[in-house]
Amino acid sequence: MSDKNNKIPFNEDNYTHNINRNNERKLDRRGFMKTLVGAAGVFAVSSLPWGALAAKELSGLGDKKYPKQKIAKVDSLAIGDSVDFAFPGEHDSAILIRLSEKKYVAYQNACTHLRCPVFWKKDEGEMICPCHHGKFDVNSGEPTAGPPRRPLPEIQVKEENGAVYAVGVKRYEA
Amino acid sequence: MKRSYVPVTLLLVVLMLNIIFTQYMVHQYFYENYSNTIIAAVINVILFPIAFIIYKKGVKVND
Repeated sequence: MSDKNNKIPFNEDNYTHNINRNNERKLDRRGFMKTLVGAAGVFAVSSLPWGALAAKELSGLGDKKYPKQKIAKVDSLAIGDSVDFAFPGEHDSAILIRLSEKKYVAYQNACTHLRCPVFWKKDEGEMICPCHHGKFDVNSGEPTAGPPRRPLPEIQVKEENGAVYAVGVKRYEA
Repeated sequence: MKRSYVPVTLLLVVLMLNIIFTQYMVHQYFYENYSNTIIAAVINVILFPIAFIIYKKGVKVND
């Protein structure tokens, strides 16, 4: 029997002789470029969900569909008048205002403060919540005075065959 | 060994463009300009292979 497997190859008292940690954390030019390419990859990958979400919005997949609903006949609604209706559900009360010959606006008329019904004041040209005197701009639904801070949700309307229809609800961004 | 820092500079430029287009993309998304969002996202994706090519060339020539 030989002793060839029973020799200590060289004098040592540890098992870490082959671990060389000198300059281990030094970032050389090549390593730095690798990091930059990796960062570009991270940016590319993180762009994908934004592109996907934007494509989804463009294709209209995220829009909720409601059956269109007749609100009023055109000749029963004089310019500057308003009519109350409910859309899209029977408890979602809303208001339609005829601003000019062709321009109609409609909003969900629960005040964004404490959900009192909002009224159209024809002579003052603005929408008023009687509970706490909140006022809303009739063109955009933005609050202009009083406690409410968020706009009224807008309802999309369409004039067709001498009647006004509610066709959809704009996505609400509080 | 003479090193070229041109590819490093180019990669830094690419990274800067990445930052710019990412911020542009996010802002355009919230401004609801969705086609601009998609354009910025595509540019961001294209910048990655460009960065990779710059890296490959830069390593081969001067290291």
